[in-house]
Parts: sequence; structure tokens; C-alpha cells
Amino acid sequence: MQNLVELVGHELFAFLLRLVHTPAEVYAQLIVSGIAVGMIYGVIAFGYQLTFSTSKTLNFGQGEALMLGALVGLSTVTYLISLGLGRLPAYLLMIPVVMGFGLIQGSVVELLGVRQAIKTKSEAGWIMATIALGIIFSNMAENIWGRDDLKFPSPLSEQPLKILGVQILPMEIVIVIGAIAIMLLVEVFNRRSIYGKAVVATAADRDAAGLMGINTNRVITFSYALSSMIAGIAGVLVAPVTLTGATMGSALGLKAFAVAIIGGLSSGFGVVVGGLIIGITENLTGYFISSGYKDVPGLILLLLVLSLKPSGLFGKSAIKKV
Amino acid sequence: MLRYLTIALVTLAAVVAPFVVGPYYLDLLTTIAIYSILLLGLDIVFGYTGEVSLGHAALFGVGAYAAGCLVHHHLLLGGASPVGFDIVIALVLGTLMAAAFGALLALPALRVTGPYLAMVTLAFGTIVGILINEMDFLTNGPKGITMSRPLFVDLRPLADVIPFLKMNMKSMKQLEFYFLCVLMLCLTIFVVNRLIASRYGRAFEALRDSPIASDCMGVSVYKHKVIAFVLSAAFAGLAGSLFAYSGGQYIAPNDFNFEKTIQFLLAVTMGGRKSRLGPILGAIIVVSLPSLLADIHLFRWIAASIAVVAVVSGTYAQLTASPKERIAILIPVLLCLAFFALSLFITNITDYKRAIFGMMILFVVYYLPDGIVGYLRGLLTKVLPQTGKQSIAAGVKGDDAHVWAAPATPRLNDNGSMIDVRNVVMQFGGLKALDTVNLTVKPGTIHGLIGPNGSGKSTMMNVLTGIYRPTGGDIAFAGGTIVGLKSPQIAAKGIARTFQNVQLFGELTVLENVMVGLHHSYRSSLFGVALRTPGAVREEHEARIRAASILGFVGLEALAAEEARNLPYGKMRLLEIGRALALDPQLLLLDEPAAGLTAPDIKELIGIIRKIKSHGITVILIEHHMDVVMGISDTVTVLDFGQKIAEGRPSEVQANPRVIEAYLGGAAAEPVH
Repeated sequence: MQNLVELVGHELFAFLLRLVHTPAEVYAQLIVSGIAVGMIYGVIAFGYQLTFSTSKTLNFGQGEALMLGALVGLSTVTYLISLGLGRLPAYLLMIPVVMGFGLIQGSVVELLGVRQAIKTKSEAGWIMATIALGIIFSNMAENIWGRDDLKFPSPLSEQPLKILGVQILPMEIVIVIGAIAIMLLVEVFNRRSIYGKAVVATAADRDAAGLMGINTNRVITFSYALSSMIAGIAGVLVAPVTLTGATMGSALGLKAFAVAIIGGLSSGFGVVVGGLIIGITENLTGYFISSGYKDVPGLILLLLVLSLKPSGLFGKSAIKKV
Repeated sequence: MLRYLTIALVTLAAVVAPFVVGPYYLDLLTTIAIYSILLLGLDIVFGYTGEVSLGHAALFGVGAYAAGCLVHHHLLLGGASPVGFDIVIALVLGTLMAAAFGALLALPALRVTGPYLAMVTLAFGTIVGILINEMDFLTNGPKGITMSRPLFVDLRPLADVIPFLKMNMKSMKQLEFYFLCVLMLCLTIFVVNRLIASRYGRAFEALRDSPIASDCMGVSVYKHKVIAFVLSAAFAGLAGSLFAYSGGQYIAPNDFNFEKTIQFLLAVTMGGRKSRLGPILGAIIVVSLPSLLADIHLFRWIAASIAVVAVVSGTYAQLTASPKERIAILIPVLLCLAFFALSLFITNITDYKRAIFGMMILFVVYYLPDGIVGYLRGLLTKVLPQTGKQSIAAGVKGDDAHVWAAPATPRLNDNGSMIDVRNVVMQFGGLKALDTVNLTVKPGTIHGLIGPNGSGKSTMMNVLTGIYRPTGGDIAFAGGTIVGLKSPQIAAKGIARTFQNVQLFGELTVLENVMVGLHHSYRSSLFGVALRTPGAVREEHEARIRAASILGFVGLEALAAEEARNLPYGKMRLLEIGRALALDPQLLLLDEPAAGLTAPDIKELIGIIRKIKSHGITVILIEHHMDVVMGISDTVTVLDFGQKIAEGRPSEVQANPRVIEAYLGGAAAEPVH
């Protein structure tokens, strides 16, 4: 017993020593690459928020939407490059294709998996149906694109920039900018356009919005389409940095859950902060403990937040109505 | 009679089966038994409390690895162990470990429900998966743990007498293990049956149908959710530790991944929730699925027969359905045909296994939401409308003597009041729904509480029953404060209520709704219920008589076996009163009991309220029907914009100019304190 205590003590001491002795540049490096991944989580979580606000449901297959976006993007880019286009123009031309595909994929998820369950008020129904669609999509992707991970041609140089001793891939900067841009665009759309106002109205009170002549079913379908579109873009943003493959979605989707919960399902600002928290802790855990454990802190954080403050760190808690 | 015959036949089949089928199918049967144990446990959470758990594969894994680690680290006696002793330890440890994890998993369930709870369980499942994979010093990591089936008694020497037993050692072990699993399954069915028929089963369904009402009936939602999770996890753990031994080879982290969880949910939904037969049927389907999908020809035959069945039943439905339903019926038929076409097109079926699995889930969610058992049950009640209903109501007759509990002298506050509300403020953001309100209710009276819409009456009810915690002020009841107590605690102190928007337990019968109110009258423990001790049986019987008597009092005895959601609106309100009375309250809060009632019903209601008062129960009555309030109240308090504007005898209040102003408009009313 004493040996065990001593052993644990030694391990802990060695671990702390390692924390202290790690140079600041390494920390900076870990944090910077954590930010890029975290923004991707944030974007997916933002998609969860969109559908949750209009329909109180969300897509348990959101990770698969991202995966499909990335793979469709990959095929498009490969095709365009084979036509003789450069990498950057091919990438830029591919984005509208992925967006269109995402819109369709999201609508399909809503029509097949969610609409019926909303009608019958069956929670188990939509949870299981969206999971089932996710399984079908990933199996289809496996059959179309194969089981192996594929390399996505990067539109920008893959030579890292060195800023203050930290190596940053140009694509990582694009991820951060792109992620923030998508979220801002959707927010502006929701606040400014009449269609966006229908979305906001449905989110505030679906029944009242319906009585005001808004086709809330269509709004819900639209929010799913939008959410999958965003996930698709997130997919092609992250793909050049990581690898692409049929199994890339599930882990991302799960971590985005954690982000959405930590940030609160009603706070746009929350998902950015939540994404950064998860992205950075995950990188630190991977470096200091073991890459096998890197998903654990985020999930524990998810459990803690749900146990202590279910509305999230930035969400507003709702008043119980009787 | 039919029931016993079925049981006898199934038992016979289970005993004979291992001697008839080959070793491969015996393994399948064993796995089916193991899965059934888990699925029956999952049904407690998924079917009865209505929560989606995505963590049951992990609990299954905890049970399996509890057994696995014992073996891997040589913590068992091994060869020196007396007959089957090792595996008993492993099973007990597996069950307890999983139950402990279930309790851990239920902690966040205190605050969340629905999709959040699904996420909690998903995160939990993922963490357990990672830990099993990474903690290789404990679990041997991805390499897995080698396990072998135990031998209990070597029966082969008896082969001379009983020729069936002529087999090698391996088959002997397989046979014995099969019987162990079947025995455990029978035990599980036995325990689950009793729990579900007890007050625990009713509590699980009550918290699903209306958490707020069950809290206000003294049935703590949190406590019972934890119980449900722990029970469910314990069965998952038992199944897991059996599973660890079952293959006779080894267990690996991949046996307990997310896909397994989905398989479990599919099995319960497809077989049919809230039954014993459903999960077992589901187990049979998901266990035999991989072998059915392994052979393309067999798969095509199955797809073809599904298509034929769909076309035949679809045609029949087309002929009987209204034109509007025809298209809705056509879709699944077309889907089944498309499925058949797909089966002809596919050449390598293993590549599409997961997609087929996903499509099965979609199909079940859409067209078989109540599962196969639920569907058949529906057909049966269509053909024989009386089946089932009678058995529930049979055997109990209520009478007037059992309506009321033994009279107890109520504990009053120091100033002799039943409840004393002092300067209560309830603030939501900038809105003061209650603004320093005082309310003193004398014991044994009917106290009317009126006011225009939005004046704070229902908020007052919610504050009194602990649904809201007041922002300021104090509420004295039975000599102590009740501010800060939770709804179940307040209910236990003797405050019962009805709800303005009816909050019945829809899928429970009328009788069972009242029995949830009687929850407080039970003393027997979970074990008492499972073992069916004489005390537990007597309690249940007494509660049934009491509930039937209360139904007689509110005039619903003829509807005792009906599901509450099928009642007409007026009867629902009466049932709410009956359920509240079952709590044996000192103080009864009635929130608009006459709303939606017809004139003769209202007359009956007035009679009921008067009788309640005559039995010494104090009543606070919120009502918009002025003739009702003014007719039976001893005192009336008027609220307007969260403030008390008048109080007194009905005639005084009716003449009060401020009350008239509040109802009909005029200059703003001044508050009185």
C-alpha cells in the first residue's frame, strides 16, 4: 500500500515537473493549434443550436454531415484539379457545391428523421432516427469513398508560418476566420432578413409563430438545412489540416455536443468559448498525458456542466411552467 | 389458463432446446438469454421512465470487465474453487459495479432530461470505452482478456443412465452455461415483473408522464430516476458478466461500443417497450441478425417474404382504409418493395450491414413505434376489446369506509392557522408575480383565491407546493417554514394539489393514478417487493381497496381500468382531486377545478368539495366561476397584479369597489396588506 502511495506521489511529482519545465513556446504551440480545432467544434455546435432553437431537437448525425461535406468537397476539388484548375481556385469553386449539398442533406435528415417525431412528440423517435441516418450516411460513404483516410489537397501552402516561435499553418488561420465568418453571416441573416426573422420567431415561440402565418415546418426544415450546410463547410475547412474519411464524423460530432452544452444551447458567444475550452484542453491532455485520453476531459466537463448548470455556462435558464 | 400453458410450453422448449440444436445454435440461444437480461433492464429506463440511454453498452462492458479483471489478475480461486464459486463472485461483482456506475450516471440526471440525458449517457459511454481501451494495466487494453466457461458439475458419468449426457467436456460446459443464463433470465423476468407491478413501476411511469405532478404527489422524481437507473444498470452488469464467460474465448473493448448501444435500443423498440415479451423478442432479432445478414441468399429470401407480407397486409389495409390514409399506407409497402429490390442489387452484403441496420431503426421508429408486441396487443384489443382491461380492475371493490384515512389532529401554526403566508415575493426578472402577499388560512375552512388572469393565483399555488422558491417572505405550515423545501417534502408534510392544466399520468389507469397518490402509505422496501413478502402483498392490497374507494367517492369507479389519457376532460379534473385526496392532505389546493366542466358536473364538484371540508381538510380554491367560489368559500382573497387587494367573507368581497374595479376596469386599485 505504501509503495503504491509512493509510486503515485512520484508520478504526480514527475508530471508537475514536466508541466513546469515545458517551455512556453510548446504551450503556445499547443494552444494555437487547439484554437483552430476548437473553432471547428464551435461551428458544429452552432449548428446544433440552430436546430435546437427552432424545434427543440438536434441532429445526432451532425458529425456525419460534416464528414459528407468534406468527402463531397474532396471529390469536387479532385475533379476540378483534374480539369486543370489550381488548388486555390478549385477550393473556392468547391465551396458553393458543398453548401448546396449540405442544404439538401440537412433537409433530408429533417424530413426523414425529425418531422414525424416532432408531430408525435416522441423524443426517442428523433434521437434514434437521426442516429440511424448518421449510421446509414457513414456506411454509404464507406462504400463510395472506401474505408481508408484520404488526404485533402490544401488550397494554401502547407509550409507553417513562424510567428513568435509558434508554427502556424496558413490553413489554421483560414479555419478561425472562416468559422467566425460563417457564424456571423448566419447571425446577420437571422437578424436582418425576413426569412431569418421567421427563424427567430419560430425559435421564440413555435405555436405563436405558426398563428402569425409562418410555416414553422418549413422553418424547421430550413434550420436543419442550414445546420448541415454549416457542418459541411466546417468539414472542408478542417479537412486539409487533418485527414478525410468515413469515420471522421462521429468523434467531432460528440465533442461538438460537449461544446454546445458547455457554451449553452442558446448562446452564440458560448459556442466559441466552449469550442476554445475543449480544443485547448484536448491538445494539452494529448501532449501531457496521452493522446488516447484526449477526449476525456471534454466529456467530463460536459457531465460536470450538465450536473451543475444544465443551461450551460452562458445559457439562460428557463422558468418552469406548470 | 392460457398463460400457464404458454409458460409451461416455453419452459419445456428451453429445457429441450440444447439437446436438439447444434453447438452453434446453443451459443446463439445463450447470447439471446444474456441480451434479454440486459434489454429487460434497459426497458425499465427506456420504456417505463421514458429516458433514452445511450450508455447501456458501457454498463454491459463494466459488468463484463469486472468479471474479466478478476480472471485476468488471478483474483479468483481458479482450479481450487468449489463448484461454480468463482463465477458467482464474478456475477455479483459485475452486477454491483455496474449498479454503482448506474448511480454515478444518474447523478447528472438530477437536473436534466430528454436529449440532455441522452448526451450524458453518450458521454459516459464514450468515457468508459476510452478507459477500457487505455487502462491496459487493468483491462489489458485492446488485446482483450481471455475467458473460459466454468464447469459446475461434471455430469458425464451419468451418461450411462441418461444417454443425452454423452458429450465431451466442451459441450458439457456449454450446456451448463446455457442453463445458468436461462436461470438468470428467469430470475430477471421474475424480479422485473414484480417491480413493475409495484409502486416503483407506477412511480417510473408517473415521472415520465408528468414529473411535476409526481413530485407534488410525494413521489420524488429524482429518487425514482436514480432507482430506475441503478436497477437497469444492475441488470446490464449481470448480463455483461455472463457475456464475459459466454463466448468461451475473450472479451475486447470493441464488444461494448456505441453501435452495441444502438442495437440494444433497436431491440427494445422493435420487440416492444413496456413488456417482458418485447425485449426478449428484440433480443432474438438482434442476435440472429448478423447470421441472417451473413448469407446473401437467405437475406434475399427474407427481403422477399417481408415484401410479400407488406403487399398482402397493405392491400388489405387499402381496402379498409379511408382514402386519406391510403397514401400513408402505400409508403411502407413501397419501401418494403424497394428493400427487396435493393437486396437483389447488392452482391456483398457485409458492406451494407450498417446501412441495413440503420434502415431497420428508421422503419421501426416510423411504422412500429410500439414494437411488435405493442402492435399485436393493439390488434388483439381491436378484435377482443375487453381483453386485458378486466384483469386490472378485477378483485377490488371500494367502499365508503375506506375513502378517508384515520383522522389525525392537524398540526397548526402558532397563531392557529393552517398555512400562513407572510410577505411573499416572487420575482421573475423584472416582473413581480407576487408582491409582498400575506395570506392566512384558518383550519377547516374553504379559502377562495380569485383575481383576473395573470394576477398571480397559480404562481401562489406553485410557491406553496415548492415548484417555485419565493424570492422573499416566509410560509409557515404545520408549525414550521416550508420555504426551501422541495415539492415531494412539502407533499409529505400534507399539502396536496390539482393542476390548472391537467397533469395526469396519461398511460397509467385511473386506479393507478390514485395509487401513485397513495405512494406515501407504503413501508416495504425494494427487496420486500421483489421477494413479495406478506407485508408488501398486504400493503398493495390495502392500497388497491383504498384507491377504489376514493374513485367511488369522486364517481369514477366505473372507469377504474381506463387509461387516464382517454378520460373526458371533466372526469380528468375529478380524477386529479381523487389523486390529491389519496395523499391524505391537511391542506388541499384546487386550481380551477370547475374549468371546462358542464353545469351538472359543477354541481357534483361542489358536493365533493363540501364533503372534503366536512372531513376536516382545509381547502384553498382558485376558481373563475364566481357562483362556485362565492357559494362555498368561507373567506375569499382577491389578487390583482400580484398584490392582495381585498379579503373577507364572500359577500364583503363582492361589494368591495376595488374588486369590481379590478374585474371590470377603472382606476388602479391600492394594495392592502
